[in-house]
Amino acid sequence: MSIDRSKIPHPFQEIKFTLPEIKNFILSNGLKVLFVQREFLPIIRMNLITGCGSIFDPIIKNGLANLFSMMIDEGAGDYNALELSEEFDILGSSFNASCNHDNIFLLVRTLSENFERSFELFCSIILKPHFNDQDFQRERRKVEVKLLQQKDEPEELAYIAFNHIVHGKNNPYAFPVLGYEESIQKLSIDEIIKFYNKNFSPDNSYLIVVGNISEADLTASLENYLSNWRIKSDLIKPKFEFAKNRKSISILNKEGAVQTEIRVGHRSSSRNTPDYFSKTMMNSILGGQFTSRINLNLREAKGFTYGATSNFSYYINSGEFCVSTSVSTENTLEAVTEILNELENIKTGVTPDELDFARSSMVRKFPSQFESDDQIASNLSLLAIQNLPYDYYDKYLDNIKSVSIEEVNQAAVKNIKLDEMSIVLVGDKNKLLNSFASSRFGDVQIINEKGEIVQ
Amino acid sequence: MNLLNIKYEKYKLPNGLEVILHQNKNLPLVAVNIWYKVGSAYEKRGKTGIAHLFEHMMFQGSENAAKEMHFRFIQEAGGTLNGSTTFDRTNYYEKLPANFLELALWLESDRMGFLLPALTLEKLDNQKGVVANERLERYENQPYGLAWEKLLGCLFPENHPYSWPTIGYLDDIKSYTLEDVTGFFKNYYSPSNACLVVAGDFESVQCKDLIEKYFGGIPSNGYSSKNSFEIPSLDKTIQVKYEDNVQLERIYIAWHSDKAYTNDDAGLDIISDILCGSKNSRLYKKLVYEKEIAQDVSAMQISGELSGIFMIIATAKPGKDIDELKKEIFYELQNLQENGVTARELVRCKNGIKSSFIYSLQQIDNLADHLNAYNFYFSEPNSFIKDLERYEGVNNDSVKSISKRYFTKPNVQLTVVPQGKGSL
Repeated sequence: MSIDRSKIPHPFQEIKFTLPEIKNFILSNGLKVLFVQREFLPIIRMNLITGCGSIFDPIIKNGLANLFSMMIDEGAGDYNALELSEEFDILGSSFNASCNHDNIFLLVRTLSENFERSFELFCSIILKPHFNDQDFQRERRKVEVKLLQQKDEPEELAYIAFNHIVHGKNNPYAFPVLGYEESIQKLSIDEIIKFYNKNFSPDNSYLIVVGNISEADLTASLENYLSNWRIKSDLIKPKFEFAKNRKSISILNKEGAVQTEIRVGHRSSSRNTPDYFSKTMMNSILGGQFTSRINLNLREAKGFTYGATSNFSYYINSGEFCVSTSVSTENTLEAVTEILNELENIKTGVTPDELDFARSSMVRKFPSQFESDDQIASNLSLLAIQNLPYDYYDKYLDNIKSVSIEEVNQAAVKNIKLDEMSIVLVGDKNKLLNSFASSRFGDVQIINEKGEIVQ
Repeated sequence: MNLLNIKYEKYKLPNGLEVILHQNKNLPLVAVNIWYKVGSAYEKRGKTGIAHLFEHMMFQGSENAAKEMHFRFIQEAGGTLNGSTTFDRTNYYEKLPANFLELALWLESDRMGFLLPALTLEKLDNQKGVVANERLERYENQPYGLAWEKLLGCLFPENHPYSWPTIGYLDDIKSYTLEDVTGFFKNYYSPSNACLVVAGDFESVQCKDLIEKYFGGIPSNGYSSKNSFEIPSLDKTIQVKYEDNVQLERIYIAWHSDKAYTNDDAGLDIISDILCGSKNSRLYKKLVYEKEIAQDVSAMQISGELSGIFMIIATAKPGKDIDELKKEIFYELQNLQENGVTARELVRCKNGIKSSFIYSLQQIDNLADHLNAYNFYFSEPNSFIKDLERYEGVNNDSVKSISKRYFTKPNVQLTVVPQGKGSL
């Protein structure tokens, strides 16, 4: 059969996609529940999200929330730490706790047949954690060594330094979730217990449940196991001071490094900004996808890097704009120059084709973002974390489709701030100083691993 | 278990292309996944990394899709795409809304049959630069990043194709010419050396017609890979040390082991879980939890078509002696040989594996790749149950006998030490 291969195939008729129905209810103790029932496979996953992440760490005690999250499953109810882990493992279920700047996350994954028992264990972690000093000392030593290992990890160092520089030292988002060597030494098991008694509260939490369970069975279990989780005292909200970023080049020395980790960006708005969708579309054109301008330039035209992206990320009370990539030492200046050129260019506007492409990609990708239970759980988690309306996904496609080219162009003008670009370079200091000494990108400063200026 | 019984249809086009179709209409998505039976194990020393570099070239456009258009078409359709290269195979895959199936088949067939007219020196030089940076980013600039290739070099003899890393060596990557790349395509990228899986929401008759339309006319050279090497053995234990920009010492202990999906492969997976897979696993509990001499410890059975590698990796806490870690590791291996495992340990491990099989069915692209893998190794795509049965069949006696056979053999012990501490 002879065919004309030059003809691009047309899609078949439009697909039909129905969003899963999101149920929500609130328990008497204030715990908010978001639930999606899915019957494809006999599995269930749960995320408990509690709004007490590391921004609640007292200033000289950075790392408290993180150590709390590491301690919460070190023994609970009838079991010590090892026994508790064994109880989950024997079911083929998994439990995981983690912490970021805004939240503490407790995650469980289980087969439906083991839901009841897994949920019972999960609730014993929430309600009856042991918090033994011996476990605390060991977990803290683990963090100490992790902090030591971080000194070898260029991406991690770049992330911490960039975060510190754009948020400024009077802002709780400027400090790493893990804390510092000296700050974790100031912690004790009493602080962990105090944190639990004060901050870990149902009225400050969301429980996300996705999977093969009926609403009746779920509510019965919630009633049975979680209704006596009591409300704790009010959280004291941290203070946020935001200073305007200034143009600067910050170099963190990694003697003899073959590559430079590059971060370019500044502080940006939080998620509740009215131009969120325009910003997202603009970034999709700039650096959010493989075929975006920055990657096509740095990777596909120049061959400088394995990949380059730009991203607006959102905390609850703040946000960041950041371009990130890594290139070999000798190409660092040219790569940074190209990044800044792309940032200047996007402010002069995008083309209708670029916008059509971004829109098409985002609209058509939508159904595939509701494929696995994990994806659905993280979509629901976004609603919880960013306090978005429960019909957010019902309106999502209309919101994307209605963004105009003027709005995208405005979003670039407003949200890409050339006079605030903070450049962070983790690499060989001497070589970088040579090439950046006379650049027009701002003052060159040498920073330490915390992101503090030392020279 | 019923839900692991995956229905499919399999057939071959006259040009030798294998086709596997699996319908699943839960969601309006379709996954296309092609395995070419070529990986770095088909390279020669001095010419390493070409299989992986070639994977990059497959995204540089073909006769009817200009440079970058492969990505653009799929992303515009709301799809995701990528490829990967291992020792034994190279895969390419995309997942799209179901109504864009034809687009994916058009693009995959265009680069299977009509890549060469679009290949240029400029594209090759560009991707050589990208891959060189990939190597810097993922290996050379990562702590312990070169351990894997050093370990392979010790474990396999020089002429064995598992003795170099899939990404290849920098000098080799830089040396490739258009002739090299063209020759590689002509040898290995024949439909007779590939298997196409389509999984998800499609109509069977329509899908088969489209596959015939786009792939049927691609000429074949008749080649179908057959790689065979004996699993090598070591005469004596090799100890190597090298310095890196790291804070903590780390040891890698590795043995040759059985090939993928053969004999002891599943037993060694289970042993790795019993040693390091959870807080209660033997090495984790002792080294990390109780004695606190290690920051982390892990074990894995990595198996391919030509050999397996069983490996234990442990990172010493600051000031702790790597020899002490080694002593504890071998003590526990001895313990396995003499006393085996408890029934409870086996249940824990098997339940974990069973759950992970079920979770793995959630995403259609993942399932498509599994079907290709099972077809590659078992010549039977529907092998989830058979695969699970391999694990169910492991018992205390087999753990003991496997441990005796492997952990008494010579092995490679590679230690990575902080700069300035390298003298052996």
